[in-house]
Amino acid sequence: MSALTLYQLVALLLLVIGLYGIVVRRTLVGMLISVELMLNGAGLSIVAAAQLTEANAVLGQLGTLLVMGLAAAEATLVLAIIIVVSRRFGTVETDAISTLKE
Amino acid sequence: MEILAKIAFALHALIILGGALVAVSSKSLVRALVGLVVTFFGVAGMYLLLATPFLAFMQILIYVGAVCVLVFFSVMLTRADGEGEEARPVTIRHRFNALLAGLVPAVGLALVLIRHPGAARDLPVEVGLPALGTGLLEQYSLSFELISLILLVAMSGAVVLTWERKEKQ
Repeated sequence: MSALTLYQLVALLLLVIGLYGIVVRRTLVGMLISVELMLNGAGLSIVAAAQLTEANAVLGQLGTLLVMGLAAAEATLVLAIIIVVSRRFGTVETDAISTLKE
Repeated sequence: MEILAKIAFALHALIILGGALVAVSSKSLVRALVGLVVTFFGVAGMYLLLATPFLAFMQILIYVGAVCVLVFFSVMLTRADGEGEEARPVTIRHRFNALLAGLVPAVGLALVLIRHPGAARDLPVEVGLPALGTGLLEQYSLSFELISLILLVAMSGAVVLTWERKEKQ
């Protein structure tokens, strides 16, 4: 098994655990943590593919930097959404806030 | 030397696996956050193994420094202690569904990965920091500007979302 495959399997592991977490968690904060896990897996996969094949390594590294920036922006917005939801509903449990209209 | 590289890889894979498992299965969200930080450090170590020290430091700076603090602020707004919303036991059925949701795409992707490994080199290429800076300012300058625009929009969007209008007396 080549080094590239091993790195991709680790990235896949992060994806699996993130998907498991996003389904099993009940609150928005737990789901946010799982999304961050999956984004980390994506970054690791891109860097491994860029560094260990003939692909453009600069493009791969800068693409991962872009993923990190997007993750920061996403965490900011989710924090704002969590504040709004907890203010309006008093909880961030997904079951409690699943109604569209009462 | 090769055996050392394999040991380092296995160590970081174990750190990532342990941290991620704590992050998704811990009853307390603060412990889950600590698991997330451990995973971030493990991935940073993997970046070092891939000969990309710049990304490893960016990982620590952005993820551990910024994203984790943001998640911690979210944890503070919820009941994260042992009696919080996450502490109620999860039914077996729910757990099974979650496991299925994770494993179904993973098995397909893993089969493709193992059956069609593709041409890979054994050692990672080394790209210096000047090459990255040149790429950032010349070839990919548009995406560099766009990411700053996205961060600005996200920040102002967060401020607008959480703005509390003063009640008119």
